[in-house]
Amino acid sequence: MNTAPFQRLARFACATQAPYQAAVFRIGLAAVITVFLLREWPHRRVLFGDRSPLSYDMALTLIEEEGTFTVLSWWGGQLWFEIVYTLTIVAALAVMLGWRTRTMAVLLMVGVMSLENRNTLVGDGGDNIIRIMVIYLVFTRCAQAWSLDARRARAARAGGTDPSADRTGVVLWSVAGALLFWAFGIPLQGGWPMVLWLLWAVHGVWYVVNRRLPGHEVRSVLDGIAAMLHNAAMLVIAVQVCLIYSTAGWYKIQGLRWQEGSALHYALHLDYFTPWPWLSAAVAGNAVLVLALTYLTVAAQVAFPFTLANRKVKNVLLAVMVAEHLGIAVLLGIPFLSLVMVVCDAVFLPTALLLRVGRWCGRRTPGPSGPVPRGLATSAPQPATPEPARSA
Amino acid sequence: MEPSTGTPTTLPHPRSAEDDGAAPFWSPWAVGTLVATGLLLVGAVVFHIAMVFLSLAPSNAVTTRHREVVNAYVQPEFGQDWRLFAPNPQQRNESVGVRLRTARAGGTPAVSGWVNVTAEDIETIRGNPAPSHAHQNMLRRAWDGYVNSHSPKERPQRGRLSELSSTYLKRVVLQRIGREWQGRPIVGLQVAGRFTAVPPPSWTTRQTPDTTTYRVLPWWPVTDQDYREL
Repeated sequence: MNTAPFQRLARFACATQAPYQAAVFRIGLAAVITVFLLREWPHRRVLFGDRSPLSYDMALTLIEEEGTFTVLSWWGGQLWFEIVYTLTIVAALAVMLGWRTRTMAVLLMVGVMSLENRNTLVGDGGDNIIRIMVIYLVFTRCAQAWSLDARRARAARAGGTDPSADRTGVVLWSVAGALLFWAFGIPLQGGWPMVLWLLWAVHGVWYVVNRRLPGHEVRSVLDGIAAMLHNAAMLVIAVQVCLIYSTAGWYKIQGLRWQEGSALHYALHLDYFTPWPWLSAAVAGNAVLVLALTYLTVAAQVAFPFTLANRKVKNVLLAVMVAEHLGIAVLLGIPFLSLVMVVCDAVFLPTALLLRVGRWCGRRTPGPSGPVPRGLATSAPQPATPEPARSA
Repeated sequence: MEPSTGTPTTLPHPRSAEDDGAAPFWSPWAVGTLVATGLLLVGAVVFHIAMVFLSLAPSNAVTTRHREVVNAYVQPEFGQDWRLFAPNPQQRNESVGVRLRTARAGGTPAVSGWVNVTAEDIETIRGNPAPSHAHQNMLRRAWDGYVNSHSPKERPQRGRLSELSSTYLKRVVLQRIGREWQGRPIVGLQVAGRFTAVPPPSWTTRQTPDTTTYRVLPWWPVTDQDYREL
């Protein structure tokens, strides 16, 4: 029996696919979160904190109704809120730089969920995407390229030191364990406490295996599992982006205003979304331009998932999408929603382009650990996540 | 690649090239573990995507029967709504206004004129490349939250959430207004929505709908308790 296809599949599934796309996604998402939290700094206490019109007791009611998780339900005071808000910014910066990424990504997830879920009544689509994507990010190997983690691993390899002798990691892990125990004790039920404990346990197992069994097969099995999990998460991210565009596009098709090409006219006259009235008026004044942009929006959104089958068409459409998002960011005054969509688009960018940008950004930008990761040689300019899910 | 179909020991070790001469072949237990994990992941991914898809799709043969299952999985972490501007963009501007009742020294209350609270938001957004959620979303969504949980006759329709949404709207407005009006403490307020239709583009033959309508909510009493934490 010919097992070659199975071997190819196994090799593909057990290799970390699309490390550069994952890195761009990590950097972009963390950057958007950082800028957002810094921008809201003057309003933070009113939006998510101890001066919110959604008072602490009201928030508890809403949390109970919606079944959400937030550490801000533990105490209502200002001190706790400031700690959580600041730590979330710190975690976002750490994830952006790729410092202790696997730990910091979990911290970022908890921080973002805590803030957003403290008051779910002030968010918009941008917050919604961020809230979902930070969860997916935890499961990716997003620090293999362009990160301090990658640079540290390379330095250790070059210097001949043992990269598994990782004192900072042990300290972080111990502190995280103590915090989890203080917060949750030993969780007997499922839910987020259990998930966080599980992630913590996995980090511990990974460290022990790295330290005690570096060349052992167990290490390789764990590596294969981590790669498969990464591939699955990248696939889910890609599909999630497609679902966003499909939903937005297919529902628009059913609307009369989109059919007659006047939808943009109305959007440009909404007071809440006209930071530059003269600019909105100038665009809205041109009926043909309004028609073209309205149709283009629907066509691009509906077409997007299908263009993934063809690399060239996909890349052209990606450029159109990014340009449109940047236009919307300025025109409608919703920069964070637009920028996070650009970050989502970046997951589909071709590796060759990312490498060129990476080189341009800095000659000494840390590359992925090792030479060029396997899977790149074959899947270099392809869409980010070429169906790792079919593997087993 | 079910365990039974291949000869597991011939699978190449994925790290054999990178790790200095680690075992070139997987042992059976390793293959079993990897295959099992892989299948589990495939199942999880398919399930997750299917659930999110069903939560976004219009009501259909599956979701009418299994709505609770889908919601139980998707909510709250993966709940999403991408129908901003769909199927149609909003075609009117909504402003929230408030008027206040203050205690007067003699005991007879005085009522203020209407104050357009939304206008302050719009003023702040103008010329701002990155408007804050505090101005772009807070009051707008507080109003939407009230409208979505009350009947047109202002009857609560969603239990605790209705009560929450009206208290929230009241407090959002009170935070803007403060405790006093023209030096006198506020003892009551009345919120109203004003809806102004966006005129259709010039090329259409549609009539400009007769433009402005209102929704006036009942008077609400204001006590010290309403200002807690503000």
